[in-house]
Amino acid sequence: MIPYLARVVVKSVVTLFAIFTVTFIATRLSGNPIDTFLGEGLTTEGREELIRYFQLDASLWQQYLAFLRGAMSGEFGLSFIDRRPVTQVVGDRLWASGQLLLASVGLTVLVAIPLGVLGAIYRKSWVGSAVMMIAFAGYAMPSFILSILMVLTFSYWLNWLPVVGNSTLLHFIMPTIAMSGVLVAALTRFTRNAMLDALGQDFIRTARAKGLRESRVVLRHGLGNAGVTVISVIGLQVAGLAAAGSVVVENIFSWPGIGQLLVNSALERDYPVLQFGVITVAIAVVVINAITDIAYAFADPRIRLAHS
Amino acid sequence: MFRLMLATALAALPLAASAQEITVGAANMAAYLDPGRDHSNVGSQFYYNSFDTLIDRDHTKLAPEWEPALATSWELIEPTIMELKLRENVKFHNGDAMTADDVIFSLNRMMQATFPPYVVRAKDRLANFPMAEKVDEHTIRIRANREEPLWETLISLQQVMIIPEAYTKALTGDPLVAEDSDFEAFALAPVGTGPYRIETFQPGESLVWERFDNFWGDKAPLERVNVVQISETASRLTALKTGEADIITNIAPDQLSLIDKDKNLKTAGSATALFHVMIMNQNHPKLEDPRIRQAMSLAIDRDALNEALWLGKGVVPSTHTMAEMGALHQPDLVTFEYDPERAKALLKEAGYDGFEITFDTAPSYYTNGLLAAQAIMEMWAAVGLNGKVVVGDKWTGNSPDLMARNWSNPMYFADPFGSFGVMWAPDGPSQSEGRFNTDADYAQKWERFRYSTDLEERKVAYAELMERVKENPAVLPLYRPFESWGMKNAINWAPMPGHIPYVLDFRAGSITLTDS
Repeated sequence: MIPYLARVVVKSVVTLFAIFTVTFIATRLSGNPIDTFLGEGLTTEGREELIRYFQLDASLWQQYLAFLRGAMSGEFGLSFIDRRPVTQVVGDRLWASGQLLLASVGLTVLVAIPLGVLGAIYRKSWVGSAVMMIAFAGYAMPSFILSILMVLTFSYWLNWLPVVGNSTLLHFIMPTIAMSGVLVAALTRFTRNAMLDALGQDFIRTARAKGLRESRVVLRHGLGNAGVTVISVIGLQVAGLAAAGSVVVENIFSWPGIGQLLVNSALERDYPVLQFGVITVAIAVVVINAITDIAYAFADPRIRLAHS
Repeated sequence: MFRLMLATALAALPLAASAQEITVGAANMAAYLDPGRDHSNVGSQFYYNSFDTLIDRDHTKLAPEWEPALATSWELIEPTIMELKLRENVKFHNGDAMTADDVIFSLNRMMQATFPPYVVRAKDRLANFPMAEKVDEHTIRIRANREEPLWETLISLQQVMIIPEAYTKALTGDPLVAEDSDFEAFALAPVGTGPYRIETFQPGESLVWERFDNFWGDKAPLERVNVVQISETASRLTALKTGEADIITNIAPDQLSLIDKDKNLKTAGSATALFHVMIMNQNHPKLEDPRIRQAMSLAIDRDALNEALWLGKGVVPSTHTMAEMGALHQPDLVTFEYDPERAKALLKEAGYDGFEITFDTAPSYYTNGLLAAQAIMEMWAAVGLNGKVVVGDKWTGNSPDLMARNWSNPMYFADPFGSFGVMWAPDGPSQSEGRFNTDADYAQKWERFRYSTDLEERKVAYAELMERVKENPAVLPLYRPFESWGMKNAINWAPMPGHIPYVLDFRAGSITLTDS
């Protein structure tokens, strides 16, 4: 188990270093912050004065080294615009995004796994068909369309649900559903297929032959063995959601999270915030992947034995 | 269960809870609040409620009528020295009493700027003022290098709003020294003397104003104002409809009917004191012949653009002028017109051989910017110009390869100097980027326009400058975009003509609530 863990950690560190570098280069390729956040009408001298002030006059290489040195000591610099440490700027918004992520994953698991199991057990009846239909519909509908449809129906016309911010539980309903839509669809299908696979195996017949109750057969022996697939799909989904899924939804619902911050800072070329925002998201993805890897090992002894 | 949740949540919603509290859904929320270093359209929304200048004006009127603010009286004791008597018993939001030292500190933070963001702001508009000095506890003097025709205008700029000295200096480092980091910290915890105290400010997210009971002037009509950023237009409109917002900002003309057809809601709007312009590079080797640039300008039917993109609500100017400029407003000058036949003739004369002319635009920076660029290409094609739109996020105004692109010329203050005068000054931003040339004759005309104390002389000099622009064009103002606010019927508010663009003025007399 230990060598396996070590490999997971090393892989994560290498990935992070690559992400740091790519983020640094990509943010700088996208344009000059002086053109965007200081507005119109700067003279060339004025521009140079500000470039010096924001320490953008060093060569790209020096800036990169300074950035890496800072990163080592946990100093990621100040936002160009509001001049707060970027760790604080991003930190202020982390929890809002985290809440939405957790709510969405929670909803997805609660809805998709039972649906997937039902879809597998009743695959020949109308129940199975209905499950698959829901899954396909969810797959075909991008989150922003789902968001706008909900906003139109439940806020604009019916005035049941609020659209701005995250101050009450009611505020969570639409963004959570919007974020979960595609995930529910995907996870339902994967769970159903994995269950079908597992339920067709010989050990299931043996379990039934032993006289176990059907619920135990399905949940312990069926779902237990479908677990590896389900975990990996959840891991991938959560990672994808953390990486990009929230940007559009947060914007539509004015959710004070990282997605909205990333959009704003990209538009204004606030490199330090953008960099650290992307890095934070990347760290989240890497950590989620590492947790998924470890969870595999627990779910399936063959994986940890094969690796060590 | 759902009903129960709904009821609890609605009870918890603070929105429109009392008649004296409103929520504003703003398309953009400032990332920092420092009236000195800011001149953005985003920031200008917020300063007037919380800060004062020495001299103010009656903002309901288009022509300037100066009013006492933190100064109760002012006079020129010499042509280059203004003496101002300060109002007594003025308090800052943090409880400090305003002193002559605070005023001097605020003025000199710009006039003798060392903080680079102040330096660049002061250079383009306050360059004629070397310093302010204290005479006694209630009297100060401001010195000018040369006679100044725009004293009141420039002393009432947002950039010289008054902030507390001791508070600011003590924010970081040595409490007796004004460090750069003090000004940076101030922008996150701003304190002024205005009728609303900034109770909470979450950069880029939200702002809460609270009535400041120790305000020296008329009591603020609202107890609390919550401003929340709602960047998505559809969400802003919905928030107004659900009651989560009482006023929403930045509504494009094509969305107005959505609000106006709801009988509980209404809109107010105005043509923004800002030009979307096309700039042309005088120094591009292929565009050196002014006749080609004249043709590029004459080919554009700006009224058609206004009809198609702004539903005819924008304003298309005949010269670089705005009604807000009062006596200096010269709508009778014809500097820019639509004449496709002349454009064709000029191209023929110049021997234009059909080379490609690029027009750069960002995909979404200016409302309707890309659409306008595409329409302009069609208009160019109609006179034989071979244009091509280049979409990119990079600012190309300083590139020698620039041929044409869009830009804007805002009115930073109500004088031609506050718009054309800043952008097209000798050695100003356009010239220093290498796409606009001036000579001794232009400089002399600009000097007379900027500094002459004779109003007629200023008008004549400005007309002469416009003639130079017409002969050798580097800019074409396309239109003033039309900007609207949506609000509940119970709110009586509208943008006022005496403000710079986008100011959310909630002072006494500027906003009332019908049911209060």
